[in-house]
Amino acid sequence: MISLVRKPTGWLVLATAALLVAAACGGTSSTTGTTTFKGVKKIGISTAISGQSALYGHAISQAVNLAADDLNAKGGVNGYKIQADIQDDGTDVNKAVQNTQQLILQDNVAAMIGPVTSAQCTGTSPISRQNKVLFIAATCNSYQLTTEPDLINPYYVSIVPNTFMEGTSAGALVAKLSSVKKIFIVSPRYIFGISETNAFVAGLKKANPSGNYEFNDQSKWYVPFPTNPNWSSTINDIQAFKPDLVYSNIFAADQINFVKQALQVDPNFFKTYPMTTLSSVDELNTLGSSYPAGMHLYMRAPFFAIGNSRLDDFVKRYRARYNEYPSDWAVMDYDAVQVWAKAAAAAGTFDSDKVLKQIVGKSFQSLRGYTFTIRPGDQQANVGETVGTTGDSAGKYPFPVLTGVTNLKGDDILMPTTLMNELRDGKCEKGGDPKTTDFALCPSWKA
Amino acid sequence: MNPAQLLLFAVGGLSNAAYLFIVAAGLSLVFGALRVINMAHGSLYMIAAFVTVVVAEKLGLAFGFWGALVAALILTGVVGAVIEIVVLRRVYREEHLVQLLGTYALTLIIAGLVRIVFGPNYRTMRPPAIFSGSLSVAGFRYSVYSFVMIAAAILIAAGVYLMLYRTALGRNIRAAVSDSELLSASGVNVARLFTVVFVIGACLAALGGVIVAPSQAVGSSMDTDVLVLAFAISVIGGLGSIIGSLVGSVIVGEVYSFGLENSYTNQFALAFVFIIMAAVLIVRPWGLFGTPEQ
Repeated sequence: MISLVRKPTGWLVLATAALLVAAACGGTSSTTGTTTFKGVKKIGISTAISGQSALYGHAISQAVNLAADDLNAKGGVNGYKIQADIQDDGTDVNKAVQNTQQLILQDNVAAMIGPVTSAQCTGTSPISRQNKVLFIAATCNSYQLTTEPDLINPYYVSIVPNTFMEGTSAGALVAKLSSVKKIFIVSPRYIFGISETNAFVAGLKKANPSGNYEFNDQSKWYVPFPTNPNWSSTINDIQAFKPDLVYSNIFAADQINFVKQALQVDPNFFKTYPMTTLSSVDELNTLGSSYPAGMHLYMRAPFFAIGNSRLDDFVKRYRARYNEYPSDWAVMDYDAVQVWAKAAAAAGTFDSDKVLKQIVGKSFQSLRGYTFTIRPGDQQANVGETVGTTGDSAGKYPFPVLTGVTNLKGDDILMPTTLMNELRDGKCEKGGDPKTTDFALCPSWKA
Repeated sequence: MNPAQLLLFAVGGLSNAAYLFIVAAGLSLVFGALRVINMAHGSLYMIAAFVTVVVAEKLGLAFGFWGALVAALILTGVVGAVIEIVVLRRVYREEHLVQLLGTYALTLIIAGLVRIVFGPNYRTMRPPAIFSGSLSVAGFRYSVYSFVMIAAAILIAAGVYLMLYRTALGRNIRAAVSDSELLSASGVNVARLFTVVFVIGACLAALGGVIVAPSQAVGSSMDTDVLVLAFAISVIGGLGSIIGSLVGSVIVGEVYSFGLENSYTNQFALAFVFIIMAAVLIVRPWGLFGTPEQ
């Protein structure tokens, strides 16, 4: 036996505690600049600069800084210079909560831009509610944030298509694929993944009630989040199940590792098992030419598929400044800052209640090429979703783009208000348990 | 589950165990000889992974991986030597908390430097051509690279064993574990020996980083991800025991692989790893192959 230990046990508790601290901690950053204004107003953002979702947080922080600089170049908002106060949450809920408390209570931010994942938003939205600070979600998107009584926050505004919109859209798309009967689902086990997957299944069954679909064992739909970077179990499970289609909403590092490792198992893996998945420019850009062709993607704001003069100008400036292509998250978070700035300017103040009145029911021009409206009730914007199949960009970009693009309109995929009210009233669950929520139980869903 | 599926998931677990063993072996070796739990061990692994991707990109697919292997080992070894000489030598005689805080501070510094040097985005690379491709066994496809990872881990385990039990260096390391003062009195430069051991540990972390780079996205959070699992493996196997690291990594890899596959345990696959760690700590605090406190 090889053993080099003299006194091995005295350190373990200490080391475990230190490891936990290591897992929980992250760095900080903020912007500074010249002041020719009445003063400085901060917009706070706790995002994932490190950890599983670092890919997204990086783009978001860059976009928010660019948005603030663009506002300042035009004289700021209400005469104030706008500063982005960005904190790294390390893709960790506790750290996001801590950051949000600091941003609101110590840094006195005028508004919050929501974090990356719905887990972080679930943890931080109540802090905004408690302190009456506007909270604009541009990345996290679980519909429960606007329908579950415990989570409803009157200061919460969503300008990202929520999980209902995305999930049911994906379900409707898959329902059109007549050859698909056997579906393997893989999704992160937390509020976003569960919410979006349930919407996908409900949307699929509603779009094709006679589909008679076979799914992999439901208890295995979800994988730990953030997960082990080795995806061999899921890849092997797919091989064992032999589905007609893989549906996934794994994202960021998880999607990159999954796709990369699946292609190593079989270069034709995604031809054998076609995949419909949530994706973004970030995943495409990271995997580059390795990202498989023929993947059915649904995306929130891919710049290459929704070009318009304003977005083109944004892409040009973003690239000039950061030497990167803006991801979907960059586009939406830039929009979020502009929504807040326009509303604050219209209100002539930074008071959250007054700014909110200039947001709810109002319309805003989006980089996505259309005008969206924040509807009263759930304060969800009627923003669209882009779907298509990956194909060669013909050398235009160092990554594949979407072919056969369809830009779904927000009004067509928005959750009906009747359904929203039924969810809020607990009419879609069994025995008053929100965990049992199923659209099939909603009276209006059956109708 | 039929035999073919059993093999499929067993190989999946072993490929997971392979890179974890390489990293955990370094952590365990350093602890055994220096009695320091090196919180920066994952940082060394991360540095090597980034160096691998960058060098492989520069040199091209044919020779890039091998050039990257050499570059990563040299650079990480140098960083390891600097850490041992500049930081660890000053804290060997301090309380354990000081040692832990010292190496933890290094993880933060290195994480910041990695972001500055390599950028915040994930990097990816392909396996070298000779290790690319897949093969079919009993109706299922396997990545050739997963077998390469398993083979590399076996070779490294054998190498570490031979180094410890068939070389003068290994004899000195084992002597230092028993009584470093006596070894010093016999004329061996123990300070230099400790530096060498730490560099070997750093190189094992580097090997883990190099080997994992073609199969995973290389990003700035991989230091913590691997450290947590390497630490669990070391605790299960016994801190300081190389065989313990080997067995511990196989347990962790297979528990995770089969745990995810089974519908009853799927939700708790990762938790099982830490449940096993806790159980070992309760029943056999020195680990499965460790030595109890004297």
